[in-house]
Amino acid sequence: MTSITAASLAERLARIPKLVLFGAAALVQIGLLAVMIIDRAQVLRDGAEVILQTRPVDPRDFLRGDYVVLGYDITQLSTGPLQNQPSGERNPQVYVKLAPNSEGVYGALSVHAAPVAVTNPEVLIRGRVIYGATCGSKWDTFCEKITVRYNLESYFVPEGEGRKLEDIRNQGKLSVVAAVLPSGRAAIKRLLIDGKPVYEEPWF
Amino acid sequence: MFDRVYRQRLDADLARWEADGVITPASLAAIRATLPPLAPSVNIAIVVAIVGGLLIAAAFLAFVAAHWTEIPRLLRLAMLFAGMLIAYGLGGWFARARQPILADLCAAIGALIFGAAIALVGQMYHLGGDFAGGMLLWAMGALAAAALTGSRGALAVALAAAIIWSCMRIFENSNTHFAFAAFWLAAGCLALAWNSRVAAHLVAVAALPWWIASALQTHLDFRPSFMLANGAALLFGSAIALAASPWQRTNQAGSVLSTYGAFSLAGVAILEATMANEVFRLRTGLANPSWMIASGMAGVIFAFAATAITRRAGTAFAAIAIGLVLVGAALWTPRPSGEPWLAYAALLCAMLCLVVSGMLDAARPRIVAGWLGIAGVIASITWAVKGSLLKRSIFLAVAGIVAVVLASALNRFMPRSRE
Repeated sequence: MTSITAASLAERLARIPKLVLFGAAALVQIGLLAVMIIDRAQVLRDGAEVILQTRPVDPRDFLRGDYVVLGYDITQLSTGPLQNQPSGERNPQVYVKLAPNSEGVYGALSVHAAPVAVTNPEVLIRGRVIYGATCGSKWDTFCEKITVRYNLESYFVPEGEGRKLEDIRNQGKLSVVAAVLPSGRAAIKRLLIDGKPVYEEPWF
Repeated sequence: MFDRVYRQRLDADLARWEADGVITPASLAAIRATLPPLAPSVNIAIVVAIVGGLLIAAAFLAFVAAHWTEIPRLLRLAMLFAGMLIAYGLGGWFARARQPILADLCAAIGALIFGAAIALVGQMYHLGGDFAGGMLLWAMGALAAAALTGSRGALAVALAAAIIWSCMRIFENSNTHFAFAAFWLAAGCLALAWNSRVAAHLVAVAALPWWIASALQTHLDFRPSFMLANGAALLFGSAIALAASPWQRTNQAGSVLSTYGAFSLAGVAILEATMANEVFRLRTGLANPSWMIASGMAGVIFAFAATAITRRAGTAFAAIAIGLVLVGAALWTPRPSGEPWLAYAALLCAMLCLVVSGMLDAARPRIVAGWLGIAGVIASITWAVKGSLLKRSIFLAVAGIVAVVLASALNRFMPRSRE
């Protein structure tokens, strides 16, 4: 039965002109790329803006090619009540509740294994634990400290400008405005040096 | 390519048979008339043209790369799209011109450009967070292209990307990544629909790294060799069942898969015998998941079901070989001392059954796999680092005597059965 169905499907495909099939293959792949771009544009368009302070990162992770590795104050967190709770996997997703300080820069309030309700101006951002979810006798509980990535850690810049940005970042003058959707997904919207915009991300 | 070699050999045989008077000129002409025309092959001019095209493409890519960051983002995106459209457009043109190899090549290049485009879009739009997700996207796009264009090259790209995706997810999550199985089955359906041995080989090869990566997770709560044994049992057993089916497509795919299954079974037997060494008895109290045991059992059931359908002794011996490897894996228990003699015996019997199965079914890969398995298991038993060498020599001598007695019995029994 399977064989007959497969054969009839193959015969039907064989009747369609080859140029149409090859064109459809190209369109499917272009469509998938377009989904990537439109999805990000949606985050930029609809996401709430939060300012995040960058911090120096491990020197081994400095400029690779032409992108800057960005670490944030919210990258390394204390798990609080989440400590010793089952993590489920080595790199689980977590939700970090953020709130602005008096200067408008967002910091972490708490870490959660599942989405929680937030009140304005709090924001919930989704990240993935890179280190700190393999404690306990079976390596399956959250540790005291975790390192989280938010898909905001790399920023590609024109050739030669990465080093300059690294120096500024290491002086604590570089901050990032991220767009965060209610689901927690985030994207970099603009880069600020001393609070002034230097790179603005267009939607497309 | 193989068709052309066969045709040359057939032509030579026909000429010889006609010269020897075995067939008449009329028969020769009749045989030649039944042969379908050969598919057009790639000639020297086309090869030179391909090299020229590749050089021009490389020059263009180098030029673009040198000015990449200076080009506006949307123009860069348009160039990526254009690259894919050109590759697939050329593929369609070659397909229409009945140049299937070049059409396949163009589709594969299109799939590769798609992968590069994902990486570059990730760079342009700062989307580098989920590398494994990017590989999944690549695999899906390449599989869609393979399904639409019938390109084996695009299928190879899709499976390679899917393997990387799955291995990364296994590493990230420390869990078996079952989503790959769905992708693999989709690729398997394509191989069946195309009735292609090349595609069947690709699909069979793709199963191995996934199963090995699943067995080698860092936070193990089961024995890697036990999982590999059950995987090999499932692959070989289901391949034998497919080969026993009445449909030509599944039959052919099954015969290809069974080759990989046989070699996997032999590899696992050697691994089991090697891992029985005290050096590897580092962890005890490991629990083997029930799904893993069920998959091995399913392999045995498939193989015996195939035996019931075909009523062939060779298939029965293959089923016994699978069962014995699983018995060997089950008998192997980490202990502080002592040797797993029963496991050794089961593994040696399994490999002998594999050789016999290959001989009875005229399946040469199975014979080769069986002999390799026997050699590997004996080597593993002999070269164990710890334990009593004297006991091992006694075991091997007893096993050898049993084999010689069995051979004598068979020698007496088999001629009578032919009478």
